[in-house]
Order: sequence, then C-alpha cells, then structure tokens
Amino acid sequence: MTHRNSKNRLRGLLVAGAMAVAAGPAHAELCGHVGGDLVLGMEAKLGTLDQHVNAANATRNVAMNIFETLMTRDENMAPILDLAESLDVSEDKLTYTFKLRPGVKFHNGKPLTSADVAASFDRYNRIGVDRSALGSVDRWETPDDATFTIFLKEPQASFLESISASTVPIVIVPSEQANAEATRLEPIGTGPFQLEEFVADSHVKLKRYEDYKANETLDAMSGFAGRKQACVDTVTFRTLAEPGARLAALETGEVHIVEDVPTLSKERLVGNEDIVQTQLKHAALWLNYPNLSEPPTDNLKIRQAIQAAMNLDEIMDAMSDGSYSLNPSFQFPGQTYYTEAGSQYYNQNDPEKAKALLKEAGYNGEAVKLLTTRDIPRLYTAAVVMSEQLKAAGINAELVVLDWPTALGMSVNETEGWNFFFTGWITVTAQGGAQSLRNLADPSNVHKPKDNKSDAEFMKQFQILSTSPDLEERKAAFAKAQERVFEQVMAIPFGVTPKNQATRANVKGYVPFFNTRVSNVWLAE
Amino acid sequence: MLAYTLRRIAQAVPILLLVSLISFGIMQLVPGDPAAVLAGPNATPDELIKLRQTLGLDKSLLSQIMIFYGNLFQGDLGYSIILGEPVLKVVLERSPISISLALYSLALTVILGLSIGVIAAMKHNRWIDQAAMTFALIGVSVPNFWLGLVMIVLFSVHLGWLPTGGYVPFFEDPAGWFLAATMPALSLAMMQIGLLARLTRSTMLEVLGQDYIRTARAKGASEPRVIIKHAMSNVLIPVVTVLGMILSVLLSGSVIVETIFAVPGIGALLGNAILGRDYPMIQGGLIFVAAVLLILNIVVDVLYAWLDPRVRVQ
Repeated sequence: MTHRNSKNRLRGLLVAGAMAVAAGPAHAELCGHVGGDLVLGMEAKLGTLDQHVNAANATRNVAMNIFETLMTRDENMAPILDLAESLDVSEDKLTYTFKLRPGVKFHNGKPLTSADVAASFDRYNRIGVDRSALGSVDRWETPDDATFTIFLKEPQASFLESISASTVPIVIVPSEQANAEATRLEPIGTGPFQLEEFVADSHVKLKRYEDYKANETLDAMSGFAGRKQACVDTVTFRTLAEPGARLAALETGEVHIVEDVPTLSKERLVGNEDIVQTQLKHAALWLNYPNLSEPPTDNLKIRQAIQAAMNLDEIMDAMSDGSYSLNPSFQFPGQTYYTEAGSQYYNQNDPEKAKALLKEAGYNGEAVKLLTTRDIPRLYTAAVVMSEQLKAAGINAELVVLDWPTALGMSVNETEGWNFFFTGWITVTAQGGAQSLRNLADPSNVHKPKDNKSDAEFMKQFQILSTSPDLEERKAAFAKAQERVFEQVMAIPFGVTPKNQATRANVKGYVPFFNTRVSNVWLAE
Repeated sequence: MLAYTLRRIAQAVPILLLVSLISFGIMQLVPGDPAAVLAGPNATPDELIKLRQTLGLDKSLLSQIMIFYGNLFQGDLGYSIILGEPVLKVVLERSPISISLALYSLALTVILGLSIGVIAAMKHNRWIDQAAMTFALIGVSVPNFWLGLVMIVLFSVHLGWLPTGGYVPFFEDPAGWFLAATMPALSLAMMQIGLLARLTRSTMLEVLGQDYIRTARAKGASEPRVIIKHAMSNVLIPVVTVLGMILSVLLSGSVIVETIFAVPGIGALLGNAILGRDYPMIQGGLIFVAAVLLILNIVVDVLYAWLDPRVRVQ
C-alpha cells in the first residue's frame, strides 16, 4: 500500500538539502575543460575496494567514485536518492518502494535492474560489516526490473538514515557477484569512474566511464549524489603516506590534490601561487570512551572525577598543533541534531572537583589504563596529555601503548586490561543523530557496560531517536541521550579537527568532503 | 663443489619448514584481529563474529594448520584477507620491485663502498682517508627515512631532477625506473655503503701490510696492478661474505624506505599485512622472503667456497 502524499513529502525532503548547493542555471556545464590525468596524493594506504566489508576511509575515498548506492547522503549528510529516482513509503511506514533510474549501466555494460539491487542487499546482509542497518528489515522483493521493495518488520524512523549511511555503504554491484567472498568483490559499479588499475601500496587508477548515466534530478553534485560528470580522462590516487613526501609531490606538481596537510606545513604553502589550500572545517571528532566493566572505571564517581579533571583545550591543542575547535557534542555544529546538552560536564578542567569526587568514590590509587596507539600520533598525544592531567588530580594514570590493530582488537574484544580507549569518528559523527550514538547503544556498546546492556535512560532516548516519526521529538531525544552520556560518562568527546587539503591552482571544482570526490573536478589548461 | 652445493640446498629445506611453522605460530600468538581492522571500531560483536566466520578465522588451530600446510605443499599460499587476492600472485608481483631496488642498492653499495674503502686505505691517514671515513660514519649514523626526506626536498623540490616517489617497472621504461629508483636505492644503501667502506678500508690496510704485497712491489709491479691483482682478490673474501648479509638487509629492511617513496615492494606489503593482521599474507610473505634469503645465502656460500677452496673441505 502506498501513499502519494507521503511519497511527495519524502521526495521533497530528500532533495531539499541538495537544492541549496545546486546553484546556477539548470544543467549548466559541469566541466570547464575535459581531459587530463588528475593525480591525488592519499594519506592512507588502501587494501581493498570491497565496500561491503571495509570501514576504512581510504577505501571510501576511491570506491565512492566507482560505486553508487540506492540512497546516499547529500552535502548536509541528509538521506538522498541516488540510483533510485523515486521512493514511496506506505502509510504504515512498513513498505519502502524504490523505482530505479532508467538507463543506468554497470561498468561491464550490463543494465542495472532491481535484481542487482536485491543481490547487493543479499550480499551485504550476508557479509556486510554494518548489517545492523538492515536489522528492522523483514524481506525485499523485486516486482519488476525497475522496482525494489523493502518490507520492514516494524516502523523505523531512522531506516533511510541507516541504509544511506556511507561508513560502510550498501553499494550496488552486478547480481553475478552476490556470492563473492569478503574482500573478493570485483570493483564493478555504476559510477562516473571505472577501475583501470589497482596496485596496492602504490596507486589506483580510474578512468572515465563513457556510458555513465548521470542523475539529472539535481544540477550539481551534492554529497555523493546529484549530477556527476567525469571531467578528466583518468584519476590516479597515489598512496603517499609520508606527509613530507606528499607535500613535496604537490609542490613539484606530480600530484594535483593532497589530503591531510599537516597544520605545521600549512604556513610553508602560504604564498605559493601554484597552490590553493582548502579545508573541511568539521571533519573528525576525537574522543575516548571508558571501559565500564573494568575497575576503577566501573565506578561512576571515578569516571566523573576523570571527566572533571580533563582540560580538553590542552589535549586538542597538543594533538592538532592548534588547529581544532572544542565541541561539546557528538554532532558537528550546523548538523540537524547538534546540541550542547550536557555541556556543563564538558571541559571542566577542575582538578579540585576531581579530587573531591575521588574521595567520595573511595579511590585507592588503582591504575587507570589509557589504551592508545602510536600508529595514529594524535591518539597517542591525547593519551599522554590526559595521563598528565589525571596524575595532577591524583589519579594513577598509566599508558598502554599498542599498535592500532592490537589496541582496536583489545577495545572491541576485551573487557579487561584497559580503562579508556582513544579513537576518532569521521563518518560516524557526520551521518547524524542515531548513527553517531549507535556505538553507545545495544548491542554495539563500545563502552563495555555490565552484561552488555547500555544505560536504561540512554536506551529509552535512543529508541525514540531511532523510531519516532517526528523530527523535533527525535532531536529532543538526541539531546537527552547526549546529556545522559555526559552524566554517566559513557564517552568523552574532546573536540573537532578540520580536514586540511591543498590543490594545484589549475584544479577547478574540487570541494573537500568527508571523502574525496573527483567528479565535476577539472584541470584548467 | 657440486656435492657442497647440493648439501647446502638440502640443509635449506628444513630451515624453510621451520620458518613457516614459526611464522604460523607467531601469528597465532600475536594479539589483534583482522576482522576488527576491516570492520573498524564501530562494528558490533555479532558482526565481528560473522566476519571472522566469513574470513575463516573461527576455525580451530589444528584445522588452520592442516589447511595451511595442505595448501603450502600444493604451492598455494592462500588468499590475502585484506587484498582479496592469492598471496602467491601478490608476492610474485611485488618481489621483482623489491629485488630490483635491492640490486640497485647493492650495486651502489659495492661501487661506492669498495671505492671509498680502497681509496681511504691507499691514502691512509691523509685528509682523503679522513673525509672518506667521515662520510662512512655519516652513512652509518643517519636514519634512512630522514635521508630520504632530505633527498626529496633537495633533488625533487629544489632541483627538480628526480620524482618524489613511485615506481616504474624496469622493462617498461628503464630510464623512468632509474630516475624513480635512485633516491630509494641510495637511502636504502647509505648505511651499507658506510659499513662496507669501513670494512674494505680495514681489510685493505691489513692486506697491504702482507709479505706478498711487499714482494709484488719489490718485483716492480705497478701500484694499480698491486691493488687490483694482488690485494683485491684477498680483500674480496670477507667482502663477499658481508655482501650476502648486505643484500639480505637490503631486501628485508625496506619497509620505511618503500613507504616514504611509495614503492609497492615486499617491504611495504609485509608492513601493511602486519598492521592489518593479514595472516595468510604475512605467512606467505615471510616464507617467500625466507626462501629468497636462503637462496642468497647458498649463492654466497658457493661463491665463497669457489673463492676459498678450504671452505669446501670444511
């Protein structure tokens, strides 16, 4: 059963955010010049292009230019149609009917049909890393080649947010690949670029897909959606992990765009007329979360004492070389759900209060183990500064420094041996309310609550956030949930760092985003 | 000589099996989880369990050993968890890159190390000797990642002579290979050049003091003839022994240099495999590297035996 009004309203919502960025006359030329090889210097090494089983930023940076999704996120991270041209939602909010855009073809020449969408959802449901996105789904059907229908078991207000999330996106691949093993997916998508060559640890080369069918519903690109065009013949993503070498390659003109320009290097580039610096102001939220199963952080008073002792300005300043903004929220400023609820607990910098709380808690000098890694220098610096702040407040802080896989594995799999784990959220924060707090909700519970059950009051608000059809109610629930996180010290956000990037002056149309977008980017002659 | 060579090859087989067993054992002991790396920190425990099943990481140790050796004896090193490709294919693709870089480094080491050492010995206690040994000391002391970055700034940014990094296959474009490989090869070789120069100098000084050198000179042999014909053949014996070790170091110690210069060799491959806990790739890569090093050692031993017949008898 479908409901036309519901459909129209939803369609309006889905495109509203994108209209804001779609300036200019309808279907204006996207490329000032066509041709050339655009070369990007990537910070991280790339392992696989299999989007279904990989959460790495480096994979998204490349793969989101090859693959497309049924729904994705627009410039403001709101859900937006991508391979679908329309969506009907039934009145009971249990049936979601997508009509696919006609004329879309895979890079192997095969036309996109609903069978491919179903096969992609099947594979994701079988091995996808973020399968909880499909947790409320009962089944999907393909009534005809252009129609894909999802039936939910129960209404879920955040369903479209979930299936459009780009942390581990449900990219659409040809149905022949439904049974492809994890990491063995052939990178055949429907995007404006197709894979030409992939040499891990060296480079990935993409070339223009000549039969690409652009989404004409918008005049320009918005987020990962909208009207995209491959302006350049090829794009080479080069792995240049060493920041000095990466910047040198930009200065010599070997690469056109580099990501992650270190703060201290920015000044060196100022005054170089061949180079333009760009920035995504709110790119990553840095935080840590306690282990609620391990003494002494199983004690709320001690967690509150630790929270009171912390000077987040010092931590952020040290870890970002001064390029940061404080952020008393699990959302970025400007996002729909951004709130400062609970900010009275943020950045207290009050060692005396901490000492009083420790006394109240009966603290006996038990070690507080800060689990961090040198592989991500910012996380190590944050832990070092925090440990000194805790020591100043009379807390016996110890660093546990492991390589990233071990530290990560320990935080995920172990409830012993650590008290705080340091990490950074990029797309997690960017993708909105329920997505960003999901880590602290059942069953994820990165903070390891007793019996793996998160705080009851937090879960109550999280349920409203996930299921309420009313946005204002969801926003209020997010605020209450966030305040509860601060009160219970389930996680401690430090602040936000920007994403500093730089391009050669002849690169046009490049706009920094959470992941690299090379469509509509052209090289001036 | 043939018997000696065959004996050395036979000795290598159990060593290789031992290496494979140790690498397998170490991988089981090392903490960390490839599923956690792939899934990221926000995956649920349930998703991690399923991903481990998908990757075959939930199997018992015994069945993993059986599968590993079953495949190994058929020449199959398994599939890389992260790259999703056969380990053997990836290793075979990457090894020529590292080998070409190591051979280039070795050539630089031999040419520069031997020359500097010989010249220093011939000009013993003169300013050239002191300058050469200062250079050697700097070579030994300077970390190769720092040297690499300094060279990039100098030769790429300021002079524009060499590319900042990347790799060009030799057989596709020899000139391009030469330009791209020079800085990585030099930064890789610098320490070995210093070591070899010092070794050559001290050995040469020792040899130049021998009676047969004095005899050769007394008989009127020219100085170049004394050095090249009489001294060098004896200097080369300890140098050849060290060359095997140098090549081993150049082949296995290239992780940092390959990362700085974005060279997709075995070093970068294994470094990333270890960071990602890509067990099959680490095991397969280690076995392959061990096999190459064993072969190198055999070649060096045979060469040594050829230079010094006493070794064969022992």
